[in-house]
Amino acid sequence: MNGRADLRLVSPRAVLEQVAHAIPKDCRANIIIIGSLAVGYYFFGNDPSLRVHTKDIDCLLSPRIRALPAGKAVTERLFGEQWTYRVSEEWPSPGDAGTPNDKLPAVRLNPPGSTEWFVELLTVPESSADRKQQFSRLETTAGHFVLPSFGFLSIPEYHPIPTDFGIFIARPEMMALAHLLEHPVIGTQTMSTEIAGLILKRSNKDLGRVLAIARLSDGPSIENWPVLWVEVLQNKFGDEWRSLALKAGAGMRQLLAPANEPDFLEVRHSCEYGLLVSQPPTLDQLRATAERLFQDAIEPFEKLAEDPPLLFL
Amino acid sequence: MQLSFKSGNIKVVILSAANEKMVADTGYRPDGQWHDVWVEVKFETHGIRNLRASLLGLAYWLTNNPTSRGLLVLVDSRITEDRLHHEWKLAQQTLHPEILERMAVAFAKKKHYVGLPRDLGDDFRVWLDQLVLKESREGKPRESFYAILEVLLHQWLLGKGPMTSEWIMKTVGCSYPTVAASLRRLESTLLRHSDRRVELRYFPKDEWARLLAVSDEVRSTTRFADRSGQPRSVDSLLNRLKRLGRSDIAVGGVIGARHYQPALDLVGTPRLDLSLHSRGKNVDWNFVKQLDPALQETKRRDEPAPLVIHLVRRVRSLFEPGEDRLPWADPVECLLDLHEGRLESQALEFVRSFRTAKRQTS
Repeated sequence: MNGRADLRLVSPRAVLEQVAHAIPKDCRANIIIIGSLAVGYYFFGNDPSLRVHTKDIDCLLSPRIRALPAGKAVTERLFGEQWTYRVSEEWPSPGDAGTPNDKLPAVRLNPPGSTEWFVELLTVPESSADRKQQFSRLETTAGHFVLPSFGFLSIPEYHPIPTDFGIFIARPEMMALAHLLEHPVIGTQTMSTEIAGLILKRSNKDLGRVLAIARLSDGPSIENWPVLWVEVLQNKFGDEWRSLALKAGAGMRQLLAPANEPDFLEVRHSCEYGLLVSQPPTLDQLRATAERLFQDAIEPFEKLAEDPPLLFL
Repeated sequence: MQLSFKSGNIKVVILSAANEKMVADTGYRPDGQWHDVWVEVKFETHGIRNLRASLLGLAYWLTNNPTSRGLLVLVDSRITEDRLHHEWKLAQQTLHPEILERMAVAFAKKKHYVGLPRDLGDDFRVWLDQLVLKESREGKPRESFYAILEVLLHQWLLGKGPMTSEWIMKTVGCSYPTVAASLRRLESTLLRHSDRRVELRYFPKDEWARLLAVSDEVRSTTRFADRSGQPRSVDSLLNRLKRLGRSDIAVGGVIGARHYQPALDLVGTPRLDLSLHSRGKNVDWNFVKQLDPALQETKRRDEPAPLVIHLVRRVRSLFEPGEDRLPWADPVECLLDLHEGRLESQALEFVRSFRTAKRQTS
């Protein structure tokens, strides 16, 4: 959908609780919340006064083998609980048995009585080689949908954090790594909806989230990221981990180049109206955060990828 | 050294008793006198704060010398004429107009002067050239004097006993005449032994006060402010410093003082003071970015500075080896840091906590 859709300020804890309660109990362990709601819950879930701007709550179905049955159960339960299909120009209604896969919408549902936000179901790729968007058909009693999977969604799946409500949230550093790998360059693709009056490039919005996570994290925890990043890449991508690690900082580096100031302005805009709404940073402050991120996480990560393995005799 | 004009040559000036008292009270003395014009020459003064200090010092001096004029000469300064004009306007709002009328500021670059009062003429120009030349040679001895004072104090605080002039020369990196002249200046506070070794008899309060007045300049103190809005803790900076494994950077300030005197009444660690042992003219500040890329040099005294760095120029750093390959700055550096951080009572307590000082005060 193109056009205006104001982001809403929501309480991460309240929304997470509402989503979790609507999900069948036996499926909750298969749900990992990713994106700004997960980051918000991680950093200020215990402070009801702090809210985040969000409109979409991404629910990652995991493991892959459970994705379709869990997706079916979750969708049917939500419809049963009076959640409603979120209509858009491009995707006016769910499909049916005769609808080809590429014409099927994703599961996007508004909670009862509200259109302020919606949940969207996603799943992890079938294999680490799947980097392009894949769509798996999801047949439910409420119609046919697709479960999208793409790129590096297998990374936020790694060691998610259980919440008080039985569902999981992705680790912030894993989401940060997935975004970094997703955007080795500043892309041209734009978001489908405005953020506070601006249509942003997707890469700027996602890399902005990386900086927001870095800003919300404390220094010592960021220094642990390189080791955790190596661990997840080795686990998910095997021998490919080194080449991936060496590409991870490329997009962020490009963003910091003086010539890309307009993109960095978009990054700040995404932070200002997103996760950092309560304490929006200045441009200079956000640049300093980026420089620290390089020093504490990206450069040591690259170093680990460059160094030959140690041999102990 | 006070200089005057006589028969075309630079001569030593004998100050009046009133001016001697002024020097003792304020720690300020101009560099030269040409007839009724007192002149101060400042080299590479780029900061407004130093400019203000010189203007104020000269104003004090002229208050004491009501028929004299004063001239401040800024040699190789990066202060712009516009900035100077702005500062002058501020001074007009603060200083007595009668004093300010007798003051002037001139720029000097490669023997070319801008802003010299026209009535002073060519003779004054010749004299000023000599004064600037002389002062440029004397800049080092002034630093050397304070370096010698610091070394004497270091040995005294730690109860190391007397030392030879040669040891001082090698520690500071200066000539015998410089050591001899400095010791003469400190004569009243010195204990000279029969084997010609010397040591301090007591804490040299007056000279120490003069050092404090110029310590920022003598130590090339540089302050770094946080530009991220999320300043790193002192512990975090310290941990990063440890990882650098630098033997030429030592920890001073509150942390250093606590190392020497753990019982010191110091709560919290407001900032990290480091002493950088650097003999070269150009200092490599890259390590600051390694401590925190968000740190940026600031000239503003009112801006919080999580990191403050002081240069140690003498040959021997007198750093004390510490754990994790992180040396400690010597106690005199720590003491200067406490003063610089306006922890006056703690500075006094710090001095008194050393055994030698206790003996003196008991």
